[in-house]
Amino acid sequence: MRHEIWLAALSEELRRHGVGPDLAGHVVAEAAGHLRDSGEPPLRAFGPPDAYAAAVADSVGGPAVRAASGPVRLRAVDIVKRYGKRTVLSGVSLTVHAGQVAAVVGANGSGKSTFLRICAGLVGAASGRVEVHGTLGYCPQSGGTADFLRAEEHFALIGAGRGVSRQAAARAGARQAAALNWTPNDAHARHLSGGTRQKLNLVLAGLGDPDVLLLDEPYQGFDGGTYLDFWHEVWRWRDAGRSVVVVTHLLNQLDRVDVVLDLSASATGVAA
Amino acid sequence: MIRTLTIAEMTLRETGRRRGVLVLLLLLPLAFYLARRGDHLGQSIRFVCLGLSWALSTAALFVGSAARSLEPRLRLSGYRTHQLFVGRLLALWTLGVALSLPYFVLIRFDQNDVRYGAIAVIMLLGVLVAPLLGLAVSALLPRDLEGMLVLLTVVGLQMILDPAGNAARVLPFWFSREIGTYAVDHTSVGYLDRGVLHGVITAGLLLLVVAVAFGIRLRRRPHVRFVEV
Repeated sequence: MRHEIWLAALSEELRRHGVGPDLAGHVVAEAAGHLRDSGEPPLRAFGPPDAYAAAVADSVGGPAVRAASGPVRLRAVDIVKRYGKRTVLSGVSLTVHAGQVAAVVGANGSGKSTFLRICAGLVGAASGRVEVHGTLGYCPQSGGTADFLRAEEHFALIGAGRGVSRQAAARAGARQAAALNWTPNDAHARHLSGGTRQKLNLVLAGLGDPDVLLLDEPYQGFDGGTYLDFWHEVWRWRDAGRSVVVVTHLLNQLDRVDVVLDLSASATGVAA
Repeated sequence: MIRTLTIAEMTLRETGRRRGVLVLLLLLPLAFYLARRGDHLGQSIRFVCLGLSWALSTAALFVGSAARSLEPRLRLSGYRTHQLFVGRLLALWTLGVALSLPYFVLIRFDQNDVRYGAIAVIMLLGVLVAPLLGLAVSALLPRDLEGMLVLLTVVGLQMILDPAGNAARVLPFWFSREIGTYAVDHTSVGYLDRGVLHGVITAGLLLLVVAVAFGIRLRRRPHVRFVEV
């Protein structure tokens, strides 16, 4: 692999791993200097760009955990949910401030998606209350798109609901899609792969810049690179002062979120 | 208004891309028409109007079912409940007019000695009522198969029951038989009046059912409070 190509790939992978532009530029410059001085092929010197970027990201750590400083955007208090005689959630509470990322974790059937749907007001709760300060974007685990509509038509549809003009919605949708390494075309949603359909779902959730984003395992079907792009986008939303709640069962990103709500033990949890 | 029109536009785009369904929708009333054209011209008119209504209500059922998973997200995106169902109805009414027009032209040139104005009234009332029936069924019954069976039962009963009996009057397309009799058999204007009244009342009741069913399904849950920032 030629030096320039390898260095460009490294730069892109560093961005995907959430390494800031200053540090990424420094790492790329150092790698370029080493390759120039040593004359070694980059793959022998550093290995594949994605692996080297992952090692760099691990060594510097992810974005710093943020203490609660901004105003409260989402507050769920003592949520109880029962299906028949089975109690799924028992007194679950979560508070997320502006500029924070919260992860809701737990085993299958622990009520993660139910909790998120209760926060969105899509299903009722036996007791408890939820306050949403501002507008809400929601990304379901599956569904949520229209089979016979194109991506741009989805943007127009959701955009109209949020009071965004068609052109602005198309621009915002294309921009967010590009951040997930996807270029929407004329294909109907039914012809998109599972991962691309989830990208569409994620883009729709973020259209119109909602204050609170509820994301229910939105990375289903994502490949490794897109998974990193997804977290990069989450951090970008956080940096823009939005509150993001992600339902996940993948624990390797938990050190990079600000709040963790664990529902795995007893369907009871408090996080703030 | 922009939101309602956007829903209508996207519903039309989605429906327009289901070409196989569109062809079947167009041909189904023709089958009803041709079935009795040879021996009973008047009956073929009544049947084609019923066929149109059935085709439209089926289309509305599938439109309603297909939108079911998307609508909660649309509500969260800022749409009001009435904008969702009115938008879909606008699209279905447009589709209904486009579907009915060729059949009106067919009857105009294929049939003599019938009241064409009254036939136009049947078709317009059918276009008004059938999408409401299909959306109401889709709102009340979450699965397509159940909805289809209900529509099949309604249309089957409509064809079997004696239109003069009281039981037939509670069926949604009774107006079609009543006005059809006025148009084909040149009966008194009372048939037309009763038919129009029945169609308008049916449309009103079904609109109420659609509004209430959509309102319940897509309601804001009381435990959630949205605070403007």
